[in-house]
Amino acid sequence: MGEERRSFAGTHITLAILLIVAVAASAGVGAFTFTPAQMYRYIGQSAGFIPAAASDALGRNVFFQLRLPRVLMSALTGAVLGVSGTLMQGLFRNPIVEPGLAGTSAGAAFGAALVFVLGSGTMLAFTTVAGSLAVPLLAFGGAFAATMIVYRVASSFRKVNVFTLLLAGIAVNAVCGAGTGFLSYIARDPQARNITFWNLGTFTTANWRGVTLVAVCFIVCFVWTMRSGKALNALMLGEDEASLLGFDTDRLIVRLLVVNTVMVAAATAMVGVIAFVGLVVPHVLRMLRSSDYTFLIPASALLGALAMEVIDIVARVVIPPAELPVGIITAVVGAPVFLWILLREKRQGSEGFYG
Amino acid sequence: MVELSGVTYRAGGALILDDVSVRFRPGKFNVILGPNGAGKSTVLRIATGLAKPNQGTVRYDGQPIESFNTTALARMRAVLSQHVELAFPLPAADVVMMGRYPHYDRVPTPQDRDIVRRALEAVGMTDKRDQPYPTLSGGEQQKIQLARVLAQIWNAEATVAARSPRYLFLDEPTSSLDVHYQIHLLDIARTLLDHDCTVVAILHDLNVALEYGQHFVLLERGRVALDAEDAGAITQGDIERIFQVRARRLDDGGRGFWRFSL
Repeated sequence: MGEERRSFAGTHITLAILLIVAVAASAGVGAFTFTPAQMYRYIGQSAGFIPAAASDALGRNVFFQLRLPRVLMSALTGAVLGVSGTLMQGLFRNPIVEPGLAGTSAGAAFGAALVFVLGSGTMLAFTTVAGSLAVPLLAFGGAFAATMIVYRVASSFRKVNVFTLLLAGIAVNAVCGAGTGFLSYIARDPQARNITFWNLGTFTTANWRGVTLVAVCFIVCFVWTMRSGKALNALMLGEDEASLLGFDTDRLIVRLLVVNTVMVAAATAMVGVIAFVGLVVPHVLRMLRSSDYTFLIPASALLGALAMEVIDIVARVVIPPAELPVGIITAVVGAPVFLWILLREKRQGSEGFYG
Repeated sequence: MVELSGVTYRAGGALILDDVSVRFRPGKFNVILGPNGAGKSTVLRIATGLAKPNQGTVRYDGQPIESFNTTALARMRAVLSQHVELAFPLPAADVVMMGRYPHYDRVPTPQDRDIVRRALEAVGMTDKRDQPYPTLSGGEQQKIQLARVLAQIWNAEATVAARSPRYLFLDEPTSSLDVHYQIHLLDIARTLLDHDCTVVAILHDLNVALEYGQHFVLLERGRVALDAEDAGAITQGDIERIFQVRARRLDDGGRGFWRFSL
């Protein structure tokens, strides 16, 4: 296992390098194209080691106020969704779970929409300090309630049943979707009115306030879960077996639910519901290397960020000057993978899923 | 030594165990017997710390079970249950390594790896170590699980004096296995008795139980009906009353076995 651990690190480093390349590319591509030299000059100018030039003011503004937050937001969102998919698959002991299916994202969107729509014009508008606290709080409340309902329904009798999981997910998604739809219908604020924002996700509205919020939530949650790898591995054997190996299973489950919900709520409140990333990212990693969670947790953050960055580049360049909502791309890629996993698991006839 | 005294357990208003006191004999193959619903599995769940009794105490070597933290407990007792499925394609050796989780923090030590290797060897699964667990047959999967629990309570200390007592619980481990795997698995469990290990097993097949067991606890409706030091102390009358069957003792060249009918 010594060689294995080194090769885990090798995969992590490779993914990290690819991510840096993708972030740099993503920062350059779009309605405004920035060359590496330009980007270097802008960064230098605002850091102060290159004298600020008035001719660069517009480009610098676009780069720092629009492009950079967007690039960071898509990387963060991808990392959140990747890690979330990994954690939820570990929690549900099932490879087909992800925040979009289990109601987490829809619950978060509903909670966030409540603040955006009903709070607009009051002291709770998102542009105020109270509002920027209320959005993640309500998103978290919605996401947590939705996930808990699905988990409780699906895991009765000490065993997670896929059918009840999917059906409970459909029901909870429908209720939250209806709630969000109603809110966006009565909304006056053009952003909240935009139903595609909630259903398909977009990074066009990314700003520094949102990036900070998602970054803080992600980093805190990620650090908190980093050491859960062994416990998640043991949980593959079942709750009793994990307890017998000395893990506090009840506390682990609560911690996973909270961590997962906080991250997904923050990201969803800022960019909307993006499905299938959390499903495909861990799956690719399992095929590529290993189902060992000590490997998967960091790797899914890196690959999630990388995948989302690439998808966002595609979204920006595929139908210029318009933009494709990223959720369309993730669904086109993710849904067939999801069906493929379902069929494969059915062929294996593992009764753990279908019993 | 594991000892339950005055254990009472209720679930959903029903009395599952009623004042059960059992002392599992150290270094022996202890067997819990009884009809369905007698509370065998509950006794095991309570003895291993998975469930807490409403009344009564569980002691390991004289210490109450609550005085051990979960990791310390995991290092001295392991449970092989009926059938563990894995939804993810982890290699067999990685599953066995889980048995060492209570012993290392982040990275397994060379000793942990050595124990995993020896545990795989002990169950005869060395050549399957890299195979994904879900692709193994039911019997092979159960052997890997046995290797995992062996690794969990492996006594690595060099001298006998330094070794601490270990406990292996078997919860109907052979119920889904064919007769070959069944005997193989119980034989391996029996060899542990020579390594400072106490075995406590729930076994389905009465004849198998009587052959392997060295101490018997018969449960009936949540109470201890009989506590017998050897198989000979269990009479035809006991079996017929507790299991609600007619039993006849047959002789096979000096080794007796039971034949049942209704």
